[in-house]
Amino acid sequence: MANAPILQVADLTKHYGDTRAVDGISFAVPSACVFTILGPNGAGKTTTLEILEGIRQPDSGKLILFGEPMTRVDRNAKQRMGVLLQEGGFEPQLRVHEVIHLFASFFDHHLPVDDVLKMVALEEKARAQVRTLSGGQRQRMAVGVALVNDPDVVFLDEPTTGLDPQARRNMWDIVTTLRERGKTIILTTHYMEEAEALSDTVCVMDHGKIIAEGSPRTLTGRLGEETLIEFRMDAIENDDLVHLRTFCQAVHVDGLHVTLETSDLPQTMGELLTWSKQGAVPFHDLHVRQPNLEDVFLALTGRTLRE
Amino acid sequence: MKDIFAIARTHVVTALRERVTLFWFLIFPLFLLTLLSLIFGSVTDNEDVQFVISLIAYPQSAADLPFSASAAIEEAFTEMATPDASGRAPLFVLHVPSDGQDLEAFLDAEVTELRRGRRAAVLVLPEDFDRQAMTALSDASSAVAGARLYMSSTNVASETASSIIDQVFAELDRNLLSRMGRFDESQAVRDVTEWVGQAESEVAYIDFALPAIVLMGFFTSGLFGVPGAILFNRDLKVLRRYWVTPLSVSRYLAGFGLGHLSLCALQFVLIVLVGTYGFGASIRFSSPTAIATLILAVVTFMAFGFLITSLVRTANAGMATANILNMPMMFLSGMFFPVANLPAFMKVVILANPVTYLLESLRQSVGAQEGTMMPSPWTYVVPLLWIAFSTLVATRRLRWDVER
Repeated sequence: MANAPILQVADLTKHYGDTRAVDGISFAVPSACVFTILGPNGAGKTTTLEILEGIRQPDSGKLILFGEPMTRVDRNAKQRMGVLLQEGGFEPQLRVHEVIHLFASFFDHHLPVDDVLKMVALEEKARAQVRTLSGGQRQRMAVGVALVNDPDVVFLDEPTTGLDPQARRNMWDIVTTLRERGKTIILTTHYMEEAEALSDTVCVMDHGKIIAEGSPRTLTGRLGEETLIEFRMDAIENDDLVHLRTFCQAVHVDGLHVTLETSDLPQTMGELLTWSKQGAVPFHDLHVRQPNLEDVFLALTGRTLRE
Repeated sequence: MKDIFAIARTHVVTALRERVTLFWFLIFPLFLLTLLSLIFGSVTDNEDVQFVISLIAYPQSAADLPFSASAAIEEAFTEMATPDASGRAPLFVLHVPSDGQDLEAFLDAEVTELRRGRRAAVLVLPEDFDRQAMTALSDASSAVAGARLYMSSTNVASETASSIIDQVFAELDRNLLSRMGRFDESQAVRDVTEWVGQAESEVAYIDFALPAIVLMGFFTSGLFGVPGAILFNRDLKVLRRYWVTPLSVSRYLAGFGLGHLSLCALQFVLIVLVGTYGFGASIRFSSPTAIATLILAVVTFMAFGFLITSLVRTANAGMATANILNMPMMFLSGMFFPVANLPAFMKVVILANPVTYLLESLRQSVGAQEGTMMPSPWTYVVPLLWIAFSTLVATRRLRWDVER
């Protein structure tokens, strides 16, 4: 991942009235990687991406794309970009191959329509009208539109929002394939598992600012080597919490849901089971996991990504 | 150019696959053509125009006069109610009382029919009409002979019939004065009527209406179809997808315009085919002037559509704006009635309205109208100015999406 940056931004800001949607952010994206902007709704992810796509003009800041400084993304840069918008429609009366053909005509160089359809597994739906497609098929077609010019950089804004699990997996496969073909992918998501599964670098945003940046492993590693033990109780008394703290590093309570942080899993597990058996304290849904990006966001903001 | 052709093709394909668009583009103009031809085609044919009138001549009190004015009038109206040798329908259908019928009762019944709109006029020649007429003709200072004419103020046909009856009386008056030697025909001041326009060959209504229907089709397609298609696509975020590609607004408008021109060509062919083979239109749009005017009309109205599109935020607002412009532009253009006698302030609108020029130019070029309100260059200058202004505003102001 030591490639030269294909995109760099410095001190980028964007206001909507009194609201600072993007508040002086800076980052660099190396080529041939998946760079993910992660954050809750309203964090400023889409506004950031729209500035990079040329839809919005930043109030201030520097933008260097393909090695060229620019105040707004120009026509030449767009020839090398592919964009999947979060909000974007297609004419419902058009057929799938007609849509791909239409967008192909906008670029100086483009892939054959059949190749694009194959890339997004829509060969059998080539003659179907857009209005007859399922949500997942429509999203794959939108990805096809984004890839029609064989772009160097692909922007995917919330590519799996609203999709069923199978369609989401299909989209992940497409992203993985693109990365393997050496494309640079910049995606936004508020799904922690998506960011973890796909990203080389994750940039965590909240309230228009970048609050953390690094690989998923690096970010979760900042939380330490602790393992998390999670379970649910029927009722929680103060005495219970006092006792739990005696055999782990930290206890987090969310309603009846309890999370223990421990650096010695066998010992903590043994103590927990003994306490449960001797004190007749029932607990349910017991499971053990490593910290993830959700925990990183929680640790940084005190909130979950879905709040 | 491939992007422009692709946009054009997309516009045509989506329009032809959309039932609502198909209706407004193709079905509605044909429906209007059929409707107008059926309604007005028969009414305005001269040979079919007839006025139903009643003539009630009371028995005259004076039988010793050299001639009877009432008899002359009865004779004149009877003649005008008789078909001529060619079988052409007479101007009047004449109702007269039968022999021995109570004249007062007949008069009451006929006036009632007049009120119901079944008679255009009721003419009554009273008992002393001949004597009064003779007195009036002998002595210019005496009272005018009193025939009574009943007419309905709410009936246009009644007004027309009464003015024709006035002319008949004026003609009779002159004849009677001539017979009495008090009118020298050779020294009379005459007006010379000179027919202009279609004096030599009558224009059938379909030939008069067809250019207007063609133009109205272009007009509604441009004013409603263009903002509708673009703004609905913007509302659906379709245009937003174009935003992130190298496609520019001006090239998009060029492609859309090319597609619109193709659809209007299809619309034109259908209207003319139905007009020609369905309703017997004889005019041809094949002259270079007619073709130039047709293309100019499509582009002008499309440019108006672009202008509306660039000034509003939503499709609903676009339709409302088109509706506001629709009525004055269509009606203050001479599309459906002459505008020469309208008040001065309306003439300002008429002179700025490109429809006025395009309609007149089209009617002239296909021989459906002669003479013109405007000098020839303005026929093209005014629409071209509108095209330049609208296109300039649209290319500068049209946005792929409405900013937050």
